Amino acid sequence: MKRAGAPHLFYGTAGIALVLLSWEMAARSGLVAPEALPAPTVAIAVAFRTIPTQDLLHDVTISLARVTAGFVIGGSLGVAIGIGAGWYRWFGAILRPLLELLRPIPPLAWIPMAIIWFGLGEPSKIFVIVLGAFFPVVTNAYKGMLGIDPTILRAAQTMGVHGFKLLLQVALPAAMPDIAIGLRIGWGLSFGILVAAELIAANSGLGYLIMHARELGQTSVIIFGILAIGSVNLTTDYFIGWLIRRSVGRWHAT
Amino acid sequence: MRGINRHRLVNVLIGGSFVALLLLAWEGAGEAGWISSYRFPVPTKLVDACWELATVGFPDGVTIWTHFITTFERILQGYGLALITAIPLGIIIGRIEVLDWMLLPVITFARSIATLSLLPLIITWFGAGELAKVLLIAYGCFWVMLTQTIAAVKYVDPIYIRAAETLEASSVGVFLRVVLPAALPRIFAGARTALGVGFMVIVGAEMIGTIKGLGALVMEARRFYRTDMTVAGMMMIGLLGFGISAGLLWLERWVLPWNRGLEQVRRS
Repeated sequence: MKRAGAPHLFYGTAGIALVLLSWEMAARSGLVAPEALPAPTVAIAVAFRTIPTQDLLHDVTISLARVTAGFVIGGSLGVAIGIGAGWYRWFGAILRPLLELLRPIPPLAWIPMAIIWFGLGEPSKIFVIVLGAFFPVVTNAYKGMLGIDPTILRAAQTMGVHGFKLLLQVALPAAMPDIAIGLRIGWGLSFGILVAAELIAANSGLGYLIMHARELGQTSVIIFGILAIGSVNLTTDYFIGWLIRRSVGRWHAT
Repeated sequence: MRGINRHRLVNVLIGGSFVALLLLAWEGAGEAGWISSYRFPVPTKLVDACWELATVGFPDGVTIWTHFITTFERILQGYGLALITAIPLGIIIGRIEVLDWMLLPVITFARSIATLSLLPLIITWFGAGELAKVLLIAYGCFWVMLTQTIAAVKYVDPIYIRAAETLEASSVGVFLRVVLPAALPRIFAGARTALGVGFMVIVGAEMIGTIKGLGALVMEARRFYRTDMTVAGMMMIGLLGFGISAGLLWLERWVLPWNRGLEQVRRS
């Protein structure tokens, strides 16, 4: 990966400033109707005036709690099953067709059944997020296990590492980069699904915030909400990327 | 070779019988009344539901074919819109370094915005009709496609370009005959990812404010307590998703024959 140097930083900032500035100008000059697309400064000011800060914090917290719960469950299931299927041949042979049959169904299509199984409360949303995290993670973990260079495994066996220890100390670290990629994709997908689930069936959270603002006709709040969702997603994704570089990057120079 | 094939066949048989066993257990448990047939409609009921979908239709006599075509058209329009805008733009951005530096943070942020979170805004702007759905799909596909196209053009091996320049190819010639073919496999990979995104978006978008389309089908069926229809609809969605990605893979092999060697290396 290329290191972000000074020119990148300069031009990048300039790019963002340019986009924000032209948006602001377009709205202020009346080029686009301000009711339809309020200027960013106006949208943020109005949003902070209309929604109490603690309500906003509550929405962010509850959305993050949902996505984290779903991601942790789906991610760990995905890692465990993906590794198991890659390591034990019979396990992989049994599970693969089932997973291949279920994978093409987008997680959002499970929402109606999730509501029937778990009701309208938290479990149904978390269930759908679990699915969103599970599939990318299980696919990548499985791929990572199959992609391990057999030479490494044989070398370890020659040195007397066998069985479970071989899996834990040699195979797992070797498959880690793929697992990390899966986790990161899974997080992004979980986040998108969270928003959709909150739009369709929720009475709290960031997705609900913007859907509710639409009913009230508060375009500024909608735009603020969209920007907030983007920012939360970007920040958490960056954090996960940083964690991955810190942990997996120690063994693999990428 | 033959040994590998036989091995694969055994694997498929094992997995296939596991799926069959599950279906049988499901049916049996439903017949015996161990699981509620409302919450887990049994496979035979699902077959009936599929038949009803194809002949009578649900809801309000909308048959599965109409659902299929409606969803497919929406995807195709949004996806097409994204491709024809993102690919040329991506090529330009990928070739001009300063533009790439400037737009990278903007693109990164635009990609982080969950596509469906735009739904309320798009509905206020354009109403809850067809256009809203098409635009949502287009947005989701656009950023994936743009990022992939930029990367594809940027990471063309400079040796190819220098070699062509040494052979005194014109810059247009270099672009058309070297950069573009070298970038196309990656652009195609992007197109496949983008279609997956579009497919995810449409199912969510159809759950709000319409009764046509596969997403609407599963949601409406729940409203009428027809869980068998919901699951049948999910199967159809899975089938369409599978068909679309298989079709693209086939198209890729057909359009990009020079990429086949690479594909085989990657697979093995």
